[in-house]
Amino acid sequence: MKSLVYFSTWQREIIDNRNKPKEQWQNSSFYFPEQHRVSNDTKAFIGWDGVVLFKEDVDVVKLAMKYAAQYQIYSEACGRCAPGRWGGRILYDLLDKIARGEGELSDLEHLKEVGSTMQKTSKCEIGKTVPTPILDIMIYFEDVFLDLINNKKSSCEYHKNDISYIADITAPCTDMCPSHVDIPGYIEGVRDIKFIDSLKATKKSMPLAHVCGRVCPHPCEDACRRANLDEPISIMELKRIGADYESNHGLDFVYPTKKAEPIDKKVAIIGAGPAGLTGAYYLALEGVNCDVYDELPVIGGEVAVGVPQYRMPYEKYHKDIEAVKALGVNFILNTKVTADMIKQFENDYDAILIATGTRISKKIRAKNERMEINGYWPAIKFLDQINLNVKWGIGEAVDLSGKTVVCVGGGFTSMDVVRCAVRANAKKVILLYRRDEKTIINNTSYEEYHEAVEEGVEFKFYSAVEEIITDENDNLKKLKINKFELVPNPNGGRPSLNHIEGEDYFIECDYLIPAVSQDANMDFVPKEWNLSLTSWNTFKTFNNTYMTNRKGIFAAGDCEYGPMTIVNAVGQAKRAACVMLRYLKTGEASLSDEEILEDHLRKLGVYNKNEKITGWMPGMKRKISQKLDVNTRKHSQAEVNFGLTSEEAVNEAQRCMRCYYIAMVAVENKNKPLDGGKV
Amino acid sequence: MINITIDGIKLQAKQGETILQVARRNGIYIPTMCYLTKTNPIASCRICSVEVEGVEGFILSCQEKAVDGIVVHTNSPELFTHRQNIMKLYDVNHPLQCGICDKSGECELQNKTLEFKVSSQEFSAKEQKRNSKKWKILGYDPYLCILCERCVTVCNEIVGAKALYIKPNGYNSTIDNDMKKCIQCGECISVCPVGAMVSNEFKYKANAWENTKIPASCSHCSSGCFLYYDVRHKSINDPEKIITRVVNEHEFASLCGAGRFGFDFANKNATKNKDLLDKTITAFKKADTIKFSGIITNEEAFILQKLKEKFGYKLISYGNKEYQKFLEEFSINTGHKLYNGNLKNISQSDLVISIGTKLSTDNPMIRFHVNEALKRRGAKIINLHPIEDFALKEIISNSIRYEVGSEEGVLAILAKGLLEDKDIPNELKDYFDELDDGYICAETNVAEEEIDLILKASKTLEKKTLILGEDLYTHKRAKNIALLAGLIERYSDFNVVIIPPQTNSLGVSLICDLDFEEGDYTIGYNVKGDFTLSALGDGDLDMPALNQQEGTFVNIDKRVVPTNAAVAYGGYTLNDIANELGLKAEYTINYTKELPKSKGFKEIEFDDLPNYFDNAGNEHRGYLLENKSRRTKLRIPEELEEIESFDGIVVYRCEPVHQFNEFTALCKPIEEKQFLEGSLQFSVAAKIENESEVEIDLDGLKIKRKFRSDKNFKGTIGEISLFDSILHNNKLLSKYRYFRAKISSDGSMQ
Repeated sequence: MKSLVYFSTWQREIIDNRNKPKEQWQNSSFYFPEQHRVSNDTKAFIGWDGVVLFKEDVDVVKLAMKYAAQYQIYSEACGRCAPGRWGGRILYDLLDKIARGEGELSDLEHLKEVGSTMQKTSKCEIGKTVPTPILDIMIYFEDVFLDLINNKKSSCEYHKNDISYIADITAPCTDMCPSHVDIPGYIEGVRDIKFIDSLKATKKSMPLAHVCGRVCPHPCEDACRRANLDEPISIMELKRIGADYESNHGLDFVYPTKKAEPIDKKVAIIGAGPAGLTGAYYLALEGVNCDVYDELPVIGGEVAVGVPQYRMPYEKYHKDIEAVKALGVNFILNTKVTADMIKQFENDYDAILIATGTRISKKIRAKNERMEINGYWPAIKFLDQINLNVKWGIGEAVDLSGKTVVCVGGGFTSMDVVRCAVRANAKKVILLYRRDEKTIINNTSYEEYHEAVEEGVEFKFYSAVEEIITDENDNLKKLKINKFELVPNPNGGRPSLNHIEGEDYFIECDYLIPAVSQDANMDFVPKEWNLSLTSWNTFKTFNNTYMTNRKGIFAAGDCEYGPMTIVNAVGQAKRAACVMLRYLKTGEASLSDEEILEDHLRKLGVYNKNEKITGWMPGMKRKISQKLDVNTRKHSQAEVNFGLTSEEAVNEAQRCMRCYYIAMVAVENKNKPLDGGKV
Repeated sequence: MINITIDGIKLQAKQGETILQVARRNGIYIPTMCYLTKTNPIASCRICSVEVEGVEGFILSCQEKAVDGIVVHTNSPELFTHRQNIMKLYDVNHPLQCGICDKSGECELQNKTLEFKVSSQEFSAKEQKRNSKKWKILGYDPYLCILCERCVTVCNEIVGAKALYIKPNGYNSTIDNDMKKCIQCGECISVCPVGAMVSNEFKYKANAWENTKIPASCSHCSSGCFLYYDVRHKSINDPEKIITRVVNEHEFASLCGAGRFGFDFANKNATKNKDLLDKTITAFKKADTIKFSGIITNEEAFILQKLKEKFGYKLISYGNKEYQKFLEEFSINTGHKLYNGNLKNISQSDLVISIGTKLSTDNPMIRFHVNEALKRRGAKIINLHPIEDFALKEIISNSIRYEVGSEEGVLAILAKGLLEDKDIPNELKDYFDELDDGYICAETNVAEEEIDLILKASKTLEKKTLILGEDLYTHKRAKNIALLAGLIERYSDFNVVIIPPQTNSLGVSLICDLDFEEGDYTIGYNVKGDFTLSALGDGDLDMPALNQQEGTFVNIDKRVVPTNAAVAYGGYTLNDIANELGLKAEYTINYTKELPKSKGFKEIEFDDLPNYFDNAGNEHRGYLLENKSRRTKLRIPEELEEIESFDGIVVYRCEPVHQFNEFTALCKPIEEKQFLEGSLQFSVAAKIENESEVEIDLDGLKIKRKFRSDKNFKGTIGEISLFDSILHNNKLLSKYRYFRAKISSDGSMQ
């Protein structure tokens, strides 16, 4: 879908439909929603890469002035370099002067001069890009400016309030991050060697900094503009610096804001994993009482019992959890919530957040696949037993001495399984994957795959289990394996799999661990609630509010989205918490204007991989952290990744180009109020 | 090596060096406003942008590293235009009353405005209401501030106080100060390129161009930092030179508040009176002992040593004798006369362990460099001390509190752990095998896990420094502690720094044969004697203060640094007395080249000693002592003595960060009240109330203080400062810093 616009300079594509009948308007090559809310039309969109007018009657001078004003408002990002600090103010002052009808011709010259120096020399992209759409408007609508200046009149909207100007600050990495973390902010903290400031920036939208500084698949790095020049910033590793500083120095917990006064509202959260913790963190910060229920004996959900110690040391996760606890959040463990309980919760609490994750390993759909087989060990159960024992000494240790383990998978869970099996002293560890090496690296990460290979895991590609063969005592004996080849898809999609006849083979093994994906458990949901579900058997929520079709019942994380990343769960829960807070206060689940704009920007896409980068030295290699030696780590639960040293981190942070952008929409005020209104 | 070309000149660069660093090192000028050599690039001014062939856009030379083969141009018409525009922006609304600005004449904004030919202002912005601030001695005028962020950067990266911060608000951004954290060191003032941050003492006192700079070395503590005394005539009618302020080479080096603001300690009204001199000579003839402190130049110490050799005086220097002894024992096991570490080692460490020193206050430069290690290298800072140093909470990674008096055990268990896997002689192995870890841990109250933590850090981290402090030299078991410490330097990869307790303790230790016992009649020099020579103006004969004479000190870096006279002095000097007694030297500094070569000094005339920093920031001050090796047999430390228990009320002698002795106590701008301080627990144990007047008995010396309790204090040890009388009661300096004190509240005394 592409946007039909009246005028646009977006990404330097000039669309000028002025003086043309609407049916002859030329189409754009981008999509930006034309409605802010159902009943509020967007009149214009202005941002780092140009200006877009959807309607003919936009007051472009006021639009430019309001955009310059945003630069003054988003001050945490600016005011930190000479061209930005003074230049930004002068842009605003001069545009306001012209808009109110007091402009002079020389002001236009000064605007161009100051704008050009800002574009060339500013410290961050916000200073470099703010002049761009303003200068565009000055070029293409020069007549409007001249009219105001020569006739000493104010612009048509200057004294009116018919239009709302809604702005948001973003960055390509921030936009790509499901949690919309202020990445340039926390990287700047590292650059300035102010690690606590760095952590504070992270915690605005990500309470699990110790975790996501370690085990995040970092989609942000795929949207790093630095990649256009040389290599992306090591964004994830830099997040860890602030978090580790806090824990290594035993400092008091860092919070993004002061805890608000209690508001006398209670929320039940089901599930103490990343989503549950995040929801609790942001609700508790706003003064909401939170009770978090979990069936496990420990707090932390899959990150605690799923992600192994060598990748995510519990001592570090514990710090993030303690920070949630310190807000007064109440945890009720060893408690599996039932349908009766949740019905009672509806009476006892003002809202409920379901964050139960997906904790049922899917079957691999082989012949004779049965849970009862001795040696059939679903990944989630396998990891539960390993991690509960390694991290807390709960239950029996897993000893695989002399055993051959076959894991079927291809994602992070299967990597965790095989590397844990190595550490449990297995004789042989095999990972079966239907597709090729490239895809498995894509699904996980190069480091993860590479480290597993180093540790001696045998990867068998193009392979899948056709049949599980057991003996008379129902013990697993061997597996019949089909070989496949990848057939390219002529339409450019995923290649299809083709079974190669006659190349089947057998693997003798003691354990088969399916780790292909997981399902959500729904047995605690009261049937009579008729909660809508997705085709993936997860909770269906509406309009990005994370509220289900039952009022006051919210769902976030894997149980809503399906098995996905930690950062995705955190992002969803953070949004859910914001909506829940509004729900608690107003009785309606609604989005704020900024949240809507954030979602619209996601649709537009902030990162432009074709953009040419100027003003930075190319060829600066990204820093790679030291890893624990393979022979040591194979027999140890010690953390594999040492993380960047401070010196490396500061150098890496200096590579960051601070790609903050301001986006702003002009929206008709027809249907007030904009804030708190229903979507 | 990397080859790059700047403005047509072919140059070599080191890996990781920035374009600006290469240019500066080679004397190529690139304009900057916010850049400071000693910190990470701040990158706020953007003026240092250059062009690189083949790269589109401007390249920020302060931050971007040199890449092999690049061709850099530091100037072009386009660069000039943008730099000029930046200066125009800096000048927007900047007040033009340079005539009354303290910075005028040395203002970087003034200089660059002229350099980029900004002669008129064509645009402006609506001015905002901003409030001037007075943070004790620091004055801040936000109208003059250009938000270059230098002050904020040094406060974090160098000082580690993190008191200054930016209050972000776009065009209205200002700097603010969290006074709870500010230590009043004035680093912020020294780096301010404009007149926004000034000393309230200096404000309106002098114009930059009226000052003459006297290069010198700070005389307050053993860091002996480089400084300039700025001197100027007193007034139109009075040509007498007075010090108007102290400045330093802020690009490369730092200074604490004592050095910067504590300069008014000269002995001003001394005159020459032959009768008094005769009386002095009579006293010297009668005396059998000369007592002195570490507040002395090498040359003066050398004169005293010569007098000893000639007349057999006993030389007594409390605190310094103990330091000398400690160093002596230490060197038996290292085989070198001096310790091997220095301040730079500390700031480049990945692991810093300190034992027996109050890290936040004993030596400000130690504190600064420990902070730098943390900020630059993320160093682990482990502080072993009976008192938790709350002022450095954010800097110290691990605070390990041992029992008062148990330092010997702490050193022993540490040495054992650090040398466990090292190639050491069998007899030493046997010695360590004999040590009972469990017993020592129980006695010292250091947990085995805490020792493991140190050992683990020491195994994984690369560059390491061990800092030893004053608590150890006066310990009953100092000798054994020194032997153990010597083993650590010799067999482990730690650099060791043994903090000299007073300004020139190290010089005195090397130059003088010190004695333990006083004789019957003593001459005191800057300490109380039967006949007293004093630069404090309160003795029987006046002496010049250390800003009134030429000479050298040996600083903590084992560097012989020169200092100069900034203020005139009208009286006699030690050299005058020595000449009367038969030595022959026209000036004190004639002895500079005679300082003992056997101890590592060099035969260099005072006037030939350099005292400056070069363009790349290298220190050219005096010379480094040669660390002479000495032939000694390894000495196995003695068996540990049972740890003396310090039950009851214990009080620790330590001073505020910018106070050292009576000389700093004279300086108004750094005035500090003296207290007895302690936790609530301490006040309960000592039965004294907050804010009450108490009398403390320290081994017979009775001192009155107000007691102050603070929630930041923990534990049962009180802290007492004695700086306004420490030289007069200098025998305390030879005693262990923890006293079993008797405290009585004033009321009960009456």
